[in-house]
Amino acid sequence: MNLSMNVRKSFGAFNLSADISVSGERVGIFGASGSGKSTLVSMLAGFLKPDNGEIVLDGECLFSSSKRISIRPEQRRIAMVFQQHSLFSHLNVKHNLLYGFKRCRPDLRRIDFDALVQVLNLEEQLDREVANLSGGEKQRVALGRAILANPRLLLMDEPLSALDDSLRFQIIPYLKSVSEHFGIPYLFISHSLIEMRLMTDSALVFEKGLMVEQVSSEQLARNRMGQSQVGYINLLRLGRPLPSAGLFAYPWGAGQLLLSAGSERDDSLAELSSKDIILFKQHPEAISARNLLQCSVRSLFNSGRKVGVELECDGNSLIAEVVQDAVDELKITPGSTIFAAIKASAFRMLPS
Amino acid sequence: MFLDSGDIQSITLTIKLAVIVTLILLVVGTPIAWWLARSKSRLKGVFGAVVAMPLVLPPSVLGFYLLLAMGPNGPVGHLTRVLGIGALPFTFWGLVLASVFYSLPFMVQPLQNAFESIGDRPLEVAATLGASPLDAFFTVALPLARPGFLTASILTFAHTVGEFGVVLMIGGNIPGVSRVASVQIYDHVEALEYAQAHRMAAVMLVFSFLVLLALYAWRPGALKMARRD
Repeated sequence: MNLSMNVRKSFGAFNLSADISVSGERVGIFGASGSGKSTLVSMLAGFLKPDNGEIVLDGECLFSSSKRISIRPEQRRIAMVFQQHSLFSHLNVKHNLLYGFKRCRPDLRRIDFDALVQVLNLEEQLDREVANLSGGEKQRVALGRAILANPRLLLMDEPLSALDDSLRFQIIPYLKSVSEHFGIPYLFISHSLIEMRLMTDSALVFEKGLMVEQVSSEQLARNRMGQSQVGYINLLRLGRPLPSAGLFAYPWGAGQLLLSAGSERDDSLAELSSKDIILFKQHPEAISARNLLQCSVRSLFNSGRKVGVELECDGNSLIAEVVQDAVDELKITPGSTIFAAIKASAFRMLPS
Repeated sequence: MFLDSGDIQSITLTIKLAVIVTLILLVVGTPIAWWLARSKSRLKGVFGAVVAMPLVLPPSVLGFYLLLAMGPNGPVGHLTRVLGIGALPFTFWGLVLASVFYSLPFMVQPLQNAFESIGDRPLEVAATLGASPLDAFFTVALPLARPGFLTASILTFAHTVGEFGVVLMIGGNIPGVSRVASVQIYDHVEALEYAQAHRMAAVMLVFSFLVLLALYAWRPGALKMARRD
């Protein structure tokens, strides 16, 4: 996807001014409520006309105030998944899924219905009424419906914010399948750092109607660590656990990690907040935390009032977060050796 | 016989009138309701008020102006003369035209409410899935507004059945042409035929009750909506 947007839009006191040039398959738009991200997406989808400017997607001009071009939403081939699933309540699951597929030109249809149903795990749901589906099932149907329309770009406008935390992480692998299985580039809109980390490679950051930053999702997480309640989320890819008394022992680099919860899968993803890592200058004599890792400090970075400490532990990277006083007291400098203690219960398994 | 042949003729005429008016208003009222529900035009308030006028106007006032409009010097009368249809007052089709105007809000307002309750989102979703506005109207908006159509049709039908003032002004009292059930009851009372008036009134009472019962059974909230209208 190559997207260029140079648009202005005013609603009363709110002004949106966006000058964007972005390419990539998994791009995020990050910002708090009222930052203008949904307005931007509405203009890209064609629901809202910019006051002036130009929108060009993959070389095609979708809107230009100077050239008087405004392609209708149904002709843009930009599908959308909303915060609320917005399924058609008068159609069952199968007919919801096929709504866009039937309207797609036959020569543009490249997504196979059966393959999609299998990937989204909807085989058993096809004949059900949408009113009888759970929140997660509804969002999967909405996602499938958008994919089957064979769009050239999929917009996901906070698709997880209406779901509770456990359901949110169950849906993420399905959302990621959009680019991984079906090769459809997407713009993922969210105010959640963890969703940005999991779903996107790069992010456009909006504040008060202006784009203030265009960074990698990794860099965004580092930059925002200090202001975030959850800190920086370390994502750890883990293999199959080894037998261990009461805990799950995962080989991790040259060492291992002990987790209180785990799965028997060959490939798991776990998250660990930078706030859950305690640093020691010297090896503690006795400690209740089940993981004590000897690490070397790779780098330090400032984020708000916090300092991020990038550690290299058993060949893997971890980021811990401390205050400046701790950095001074422990004399943490790049290259120094430090011990990181992590409770077994601090990890959270994410659905792969 | 419970009802005499004149009564049965007037009931048949009333049902015929109500069916035709409901069908015409389904076709005419749907685009009006859609426009009122979706438009951001400044004229929306004016059109909404015009559509709602029969709710507050005395039927004799509406009937009087319709009579003038359909008369030989009125615009409708002039048009029907040019088209070779002849004069509409005191004919069945004159009655139909008057009833369409009189029952317009009973069709339009429930439909407008139904369309407004759908909101923008389903139509936006349909657009991102490749549906044109017309396609989205027929495949998304109409099915989602189905309960509103049922409510509007029942209310329009029932309201047309119960018309009196406008019918008398436009149609007069011609057996088989414009003597509908309500006029027939009036005739019986005028002639001091209370037993026959009572039987006709009872038929109308039971009919009205059954219509409202059907509406309740279909959708408990429908009457609330009708009252709001």
